[in-house]
Amino acid sequence: MATLSLPCKHFLPSLLSHNNPKVRSSQASLQLSKSSRSQFHGLRLSSPPSPALPSSSPAKRSIFAKVNKGQVPPSFTLKDQDGKPVSLSKFKGKPVVVYFYPADETPGCTKQACAFRDSYEKFKKAGAEVVGISGDDSSSHKAFAKKYRLPFTLLSDEGNKIRKEWGVPADLFGTLPGRQTYVLDKKGIVQLVYNNQFQPEKHIDETLKLLQSL
Amino acid sequence: MSVLPQRGLLFSASASATGPKPTAPWRVRCLAVTTTRAPPASRPKPLSEAATTTSMPSTTPSFLDDPSSLKSTWSHRAWVACGCTTVFASLAKSALLAAESHSLPGPVLAGWVGYILADLGSGVYHWGIDNYGDASTPVVGAQIEAFQGHHRWPWTITRREFANNLHALARAVAFLVLPVDLLCDDAKVLGFVALFSGCIMFSQQFHAWAHGTKSRLPGAVVALQEAGILVSRAQHAAHHRTPYNNNYCIVSGAWNAFLDENKVFEALEMALFFRFGLRPRSWDEPSSEWTEDLNATASTRVDT
Repeated sequence: MATLSLPCKHFLPSLLSHNNPKVRSSQASLQLSKSSRSQFHGLRLSSPPSPALPSSSPAKRSIFAKVNKGQVPPSFTLKDQDGKPVSLSKFKGKPVVVYFYPADETPGCTKQACAFRDSYEKFKKAGAEVVGISGDDSSSHKAFAKKYRLPFTLLSDEGNKIRKEWGVPADLFGTLPGRQTYVLDKKGIVQLVYNNQFQPEKHIDETLKLLQSL
Repeated sequence: MSVLPQRGLLFSASASATGPKPTAPWRVRCLAVTTTRAPPASRPKPLSEAATTTSMPSTTPSFLDDPSSLKSTWSHRAWVACGCTTVFASLAKSALLAAESHSLPGPVLAGWVGYILADLGSGVYHWGIDNYGDASTPVVGAQIEAFQGHHRWPWTITRREFANNLHALARAVAFLVLPVDLLCDDAKVLGFVALFSGCIMFSQQFHAWAHGTKSRLPGAVVALQEAGILVSRAQHAAHHRTPYNNNYCIVSGAWNAFLDENKVFEALEMALFFRFGLRPRSWDEPSSEWTEDLNATASTRVDT
């Protein structure tokens, strides 16, 4: 199983690590303090996986949830860009790339979506599905997907509930929703967690690299 | 930083709040891929294509119809004189105090820090003005309008006379530095203030030189640009090219590489967007008001 860690090359990450106490107080689990430090644009995972919480956990308790490699993440049902409910379980039996991004129609997110689009055939070839999740509503997703001809599903995580349940860390001292991608294998187990806010295209490279090794 | 006469105080990145995060679809440049949509007519093209490219209806900036608007008036000269006086006073006082205390390194270092931070300050201000607010924004509305004019007709800054170009910054510097000159007796602080304010005040001249051509600039200026002491022509030219979201610093340009490589302004833009719902101009294709008028460039520009 691949463990991804990236060197911290930029000055900024030292200021923007989600291990900032303010962010930690809102998002970290008890295990985070014991786990390897999360980098601004990479995630080093070396702690034992924590048990996944039931998807029906109340939001208040979700601050203790964090999806790590090797875990089965909490399931969810969210509306897609057409307003239809889509469950994570729908994708069981095939690899899934679940990428959380800050918002539609922002530069990094547009780059990322377009990069996924441009490599979509490679993901299909690997038998994988791609699902993007942000806090925008279905109409925003619909316009975004239409404008950039995105062939994959965008889900609306209103209130950022799933983001919190999965423990996606925020950036810039909590002001910016994090950009984190998970790759789930056919059994629904997380095989990769990749975080990089300002190099969105790298999410495609890293996920493809892993998918090709599965 | 601007072509049109500047008014208002030097520094404020204030912008009108646009309320909660907009939900309507906004136009965003997709930088990683090509789209099937043809580039809009207002997108600037390299200057070499200017003569054969018709991007917009031909317009001439109004101040070229009235060349006197580019000339220095006695009011302009007076404000520049005031600004220079306060800066030199700060420098002189710092030097005297340093000599009295036989402690030169501190003030010299402080002056150097002032020069370095002036570059950063110029970039932050420039970024704020380029991306937020409009002509109706309180205090800096005129500045924003001036920046807009400069982006539309960038070459005209080289036509502007010295005091005409600097007087607005000089006025701000005069008001801000005078109290420091009168009240401060710390050689280091005065050294910092002298270099910081002086570089800010003269940043418009550095900016004008960055729009010049090597053949027409004084040799000393070219040498300083090539040494990285003043912002280079190449570096600043990159700011006037798509995607118009980089190389904001205009004193030495030393901060540009760091700020751009570490996406500092992009991070600030995202933070402002999520915190206040403010969407920067650089996220969308530039409107016609902010796009270089290549027809005017081709038809009226003398090789500078």
